[in-house]
Amino acid sequence: MTKRFLSSVGVGLCLTISAFAQQGAAPARGAATPARGNGAPRGPKAPEGPAPKMADGKPDFSGLWQRPYVPDMTKSSRGGDQKGMAELPFTPWGEKEWKAYDAEKGDYTGACLPFGLVRSMNSPDPIQIMQNKTYMSLLYEQNTWFKVIPIDGRPHRKGTPTWFGDSVGHWEGDTLVVDTVNFNGRTRLDTIGHPHSDQLHVVEKFSRPDLGHINYEITIDDPKTFTKAWTNTRVFTLRPDWEIMEYSCEENNKSFWEGRIKVPKYEDQ
Amino acid sequence: MKVKLYVVSAAAALLLAAVPMMAHHSFAAEFDGNKPITLKGTVTKVDWMNPHIWVYLDVKDDSGAVTAWQCEGGPPNTLTRNGWTKDALKKGDTITIDGSLAKDGSKTCNARAVKLPDGRSVFAGSSGGDAPTAKQ
Repeated sequence: MTKRFLSSVGVGLCLTISAFAQQGAAPARGAATPARGNGAPRGPKAPEGPAPKMADGKPDFSGLWQRPYVPDMTKSSRGGDQKGMAELPFTPWGEKEWKAYDAEKGDYTGACLPFGLVRSMNSPDPIQIMQNKTYMSLLYEQNTWFKVIPIDGRPHRKGTPTWFGDSVGHWEGDTLVVDTVNFNGRTRLDTIGHPHSDQLHVVEKFSRPDLGHINYEITIDDPKTFTKAWTNTRVFTLRPDWEIMEYSCEENNKSFWEGRIKVPKYEDQ
Repeated sequence: MKVKLYVVSAAAALLLAAVPMMAHHSFAAEFDGNKPITLKGTVTKVDWMNPHIWVYLDVKDDSGAVTAWQCEGGPPNTLTRNGWTKDALKKGDTITIDGSLAKDGSKTCNARAVKLPDGRSVFAGSSGGDAPTAKQ
């Protein structure tokens, strides 16, 4: 850890962080390695073994998964479990949206509005995946949201645009490909605020090389915001020692109630 | 005891790149990374609730006047998985908080580190590089 900090942020930070890390009081009960670092390896070693299969022979992604936190999709993690897109290919509209973004003027996540698909996949909290032949359900601990994805090859539904969009999945060999469109355009891709429009089209690819891991790839295709599609890749780690927990964003959201966080102004409102 | 506002040094500026995990919202929406603060005071209450814990403390200045502060910490689920409970900090404990001031000028901070008088850190794991860096 020390070498990694030395190489990345300099001696001063290294000494400070190391001291902080090592002086921590003994936790109240036994626990995994503290979750610090942007995607750095954390916790116990992942379970080993072959990837489980459904009755139809397709991979079963069920389990509780720890994921790298991706607050900025241009960045890669130090631990190697997240590869970012260094330079985003903005259109003039996208560039303008990005430069104009100011979280102080409006932060929809701080107001507990839905994170949307991409930012939910970027959040640091674990997800529980449950799957059968027809559906894969993603239960996001972040704000206790969920998404139910048909994976039997059916076409997109037509309906009102939504925060999470309309997702359908199909198999390409042992890879599950989830295609999502029909977003309402009110979200941001990541915590730092990279933009997208209502023309966003997301393609996610899930594969399970072994019991302990999911290889995850997400492609952002949005012709209004970007001149070409671009991709992030990540590795999720199975955490059989964890259970999903309740997460109420509204429970004690003082920052919003006391006016320090504001709701964004949307053009159509 | 008094409130100390430190000048941002090069090391401190680097440290601010590792501001606490803000999974729920943007750090920049509420706090100013260029306004570090160190608070020494007595714990009056701990909110162990989502989306972030809050620590309340009374800070006494040189004249004896007491000011009530509130500081945001990490998400309770993450802290729980790291082995911490609400009982790690009790009413009446004397603590030192290193953090960043809120932008609105209220007596509010984001806690990067919470320490007891013997130097032990409480809620370690609430900080640590998971937060966004400054907008490029």
